[in-house]
Amino acid sequence: MQGEVDRAKSLTQPQPGWIYVVVAVLSLLGLADAIYLTIEHITGQSVRCTIIAGCSEVLSSSYAVISGLPVAMIGAVAYFTVFSLAILYLFGYKFTQLLLLVLVGGMFIATLWFLYLQAVVIKAFCQFCLLSAAITILMAIFLFLVPRFLHKRR
Amino acid sequence: MKKILPFIIILVVLGVALGSAWYMQRSSTAPSKPPATTASANSSSTPLATAASNAVPGAEPAHKLGPDNAPVHLEEFGDFQCPPCGLFHPIVEEMKRQFGDQLQVTFREFPLAPAHQHAIAAASAAEAAGLQGKFWEMHDLLYEHQKDWKDEFDVRPIFEGYAKQIGINVDRYKQDVESDQVAKRITQDGNRGHSLGVKGTPTVFLNGREVPFESLPADKLKVLIQVELTSPSR
Repeated sequence: MQGEVDRAKSLTQPQPGWIYVVVAVLSLLGLADAIYLTIEHITGQSVRCTIIAGCSEVLSSSYAVISGLPVAMIGAVAYFTVFSLAILYLFGYKFTQLLLLVLVGGMFIATLWFLYLQAVVIKAFCQFCLLSAAITILMAIFLFLVPRFLHKRR
Repeated sequence: MKKILPFIIILVVLGVALGSAWYMQRSSTAPSKPPATTASANSSSTPLATAASNAVPGAEPAHKLGPDNAPVHLEEFGDFQCPPCGLFHPIVEEMKRQFGDQLQVTFREFPLAPAHQHAIAAASAAEAAGLQGKFWEMHDLLYEHQKDWKDEFDVRPIFEGYAKQIGINVDRYKQDVESDQVAKRITQDGNRGHSLGVKGTPTVFLNGREVPFESLPADKLKVLIQVELTSPSR
């Protein structure tokens, strides 16, 4: 029990800055990926089947839109927010740490949901969606697992 | 300075993000063909890009529905395994119902192999049925039952079932599916597509001009056909 509390505390203790540099860089990659997907979605490029890429059954599915907004666009906003919070943390605005944990935690859960949709419901994967999933999972690892590991070593 | 630096960084990233989004959006909606400079200049009145004039003819006789003297010719390059083509099928049906003899519809084979593993088999099935005069019946069945066969391992028995269903000679169909004649028709349609700059499916031409993909929903296509009907340039 005490161990759990310690571990939870380890997340909100001040963390080494390099973790946030890594998270900021990852979020920029995620932002670029999400912008690309958003534009593909809006211009309809992703909906047509092409010789090179085949079809994106994922992006043309009904799951690619949440109440009128493309999921990719929501993703772009989320990545941009992660970047902003990480940069603010690096410049001494320590209160952003908790916000970042909540946001990336939420993104991680959303990522699991989208992986499930692709694997089980749509039965097709989209490359750039998988790239985004990898980025979010990496961000979660750096924010949730790496601090525990560092804490243990101390 | 240190206090406002993070905000400057954030604003710069926001600016770059919005700028690149705007640039990508512009470049992907801009007409890709060189003669389109004139077409985009008056794009408000004629939203269709001009097609290449050096197009090769494609398989003859083509699969056409509607009179040759119809004022509007719609040519679809399609792949029976492509989901958006399957979604476009009822839209074409709706246009045929609404415009009747004013519209002639042509179907061209454009199977996206190897991305779609059964695309060529499906195109062959439709062409083989065509040799017995039942191309459109097979075309309709393939599109309407796309979900039933696209993930199957072996589609041949399914397509043979369709052949039986539309009442053609199944033994002859089985021979025709494998024939050079059918393969040649698919290649010829594909060559026509390539010469017109077709890169994906469905690609639709109205009176020889490519319809942008975002104009393929029924309501938008209807407007474009109406524009063609009233256009004095015909």
